[in-house]
Amino acid sequence: MTDQRPDFHAALKDLEETTLTMADRVERMVGMAVRALVTSDQKLVAEVISSDDQVDEMYMDIRARWMHIMARQQPMGRDLRMMAAILEMNNTLERMGDQSVNIARVAGVTAGLPRDEVILAKLLEMRDLLKPMIRTAIDAFVRRDADECLLLPAMDAPVDVLNRSMWKHVVACGHDPQLLEWATRMILVSRALERVGDQAVDIGEQVAFLMTGDHQEFLRIPDDGSHY
Amino acid sequence: MSTRMDIPATVVEEAVSQGPSTVSEGEVGATAIFEINRLNVYYRSFHAVADTTLNIYQNEITALIGPSGCGKSTVLRCLNRMNDLIDGARVEGEILYHGIDLYKAAVDAVEVRRRIGMVFQKPNPFPKSIYENIVFGPKVAGWKGKVDDLVEESLTRAALWDEVKDKLHNSAFDLSGGQQQRLCIARAIATSPDVVLMDEPCSALDPVATYRIETLMRELKEQYTIVVVTHNMQQAARVSDRTAFFSVDVGKKGQRTGRLVEYDFTDRVFTAPSKRETEDYITGRFG
Repeated sequence: MTDQRPDFHAALKDLEETTLTMADRVERMVGMAVRALVTSDQKLVAEVISSDDQVDEMYMDIRARWMHIMARQQPMGRDLRMMAAILEMNNTLERMGDQSVNIARVAGVTAGLPRDEVILAKLLEMRDLLKPMIRTAIDAFVRRDADECLLLPAMDAPVDVLNRSMWKHVVACGHDPQLLEWATRMILVSRALERVGDQAVDIGEQVAFLMTGDHQEFLRIPDDGSHY
Repeated sequence: MSTRMDIPATVVEEAVSQGPSTVSEGEVGATAIFEINRLNVYYRSFHAVADTTLNIYQNEITALIGPSGCGKSTVLRCLNRMNDLIDGARVEGEILYHGIDLYKAAVDAVEVRRRIGMVFQKPNPFPKSIYENIVFGPKVAGWKGKVDDLVEESLTRAALWDEVKDKLHNSAFDLSGGQQQRLCIARAIATSPDVVLMDEPCSALDPVATYRIETLMRELKEQYTIVVVTHNMQQAARVSDRTAFFSVDVGKKGQRTGRLVEYDFTDRVFTAPSKRETEDYITGRFG
């Protein structure tokens, strides 16, 4: 088989590789943001914010190249599905970067406040659940593995449960106003991590679309608290 | 094997008047106007098209696409028996038109071509006036009515009336290429067909004229069934409701035989075709 459109396919491949570079960067940012929170390391906070600037640049670059390819090449079939998936993933990854920044900013403003070890342990547990989720979504995209994506909703369910249970740990901090201030901000962190989990599932849905051509929303675990 | 026949037009008339009761239903309730079953076409010993089965639905635009030599134009020409005019052409299988086999002995090929009109790749108006181009076919067919009304109605349906109403008796060759092609469409619909076949109707036209014809096609499908052969996949994607993708098998001696690979709604064919071969073709990975 001969590729009759080598320039177009090279441009599409470049776009995919930039998307993967962005995904790798966002994956690291999520981990870094939680580490910044736990360690109160202000350098890490700054690094997350600076990384997000680079992610935003990639986001704009992908959008511009995406538009040029659409205008010039009119992709069809799996090329068109790849373009659609890249556009959606670009948006999703940019938002995942923003969630990392949200966490990093909380790390910045809560440094020096008393903290609750139970809540921190729960947030670390969420991070540990998210790490393989994000990797699974990215690997599924790289391997074009629609089956692997189907693992993601079940992987996301415990993240949602942890997010939903966060409020009671926060209430338990009510006896100390400073601790309560810290704990209240941790609800934002928990919510940001929960959103990152949903966004990893969203990437999985894009991979499924890429491989099947069917737009589908994966069945989420019922009453999972993700909308709380 | 098909041969030329002199059979009364009433066979086709009766078939058409029987209406939908003789035809099958499409998956969205569309009515099949053509049912093509195991169609094989030969030019002498050359096997041009193999085992093609598909339905073409009423008031839809069906696009036939595929690489050169895949048989798409051959299939198109079978739909109004144009292949009868080619020496050595042979058609096997059946093509049911409103439930009647187009190739059975009792069918009048001339009447078939009146009901199933054709527009060709290059605009080919007669060397006559615009007016005479429209009235020629109906007059030959014995049409009796108000000729001026027929001319106006045909040209209006072909979106040409406003541009030519003041120069109807000028030569058709004075028109631009796009206008000439619309005149050919007007000429085709002047004989009151219910199907219009189009073989690369825009390949000789500039983009503006092309969009004009495409707009016209979408308007015409309200009244006619359109089957279009096109090399332009974007055009097929823009205008058609369903798309049939044909490919070509090359034999040991280099002989090329076309075959239908996939036939589906156009939205599906150009976004998520079910066959790898279709996907490779529309994404430019072939050859």
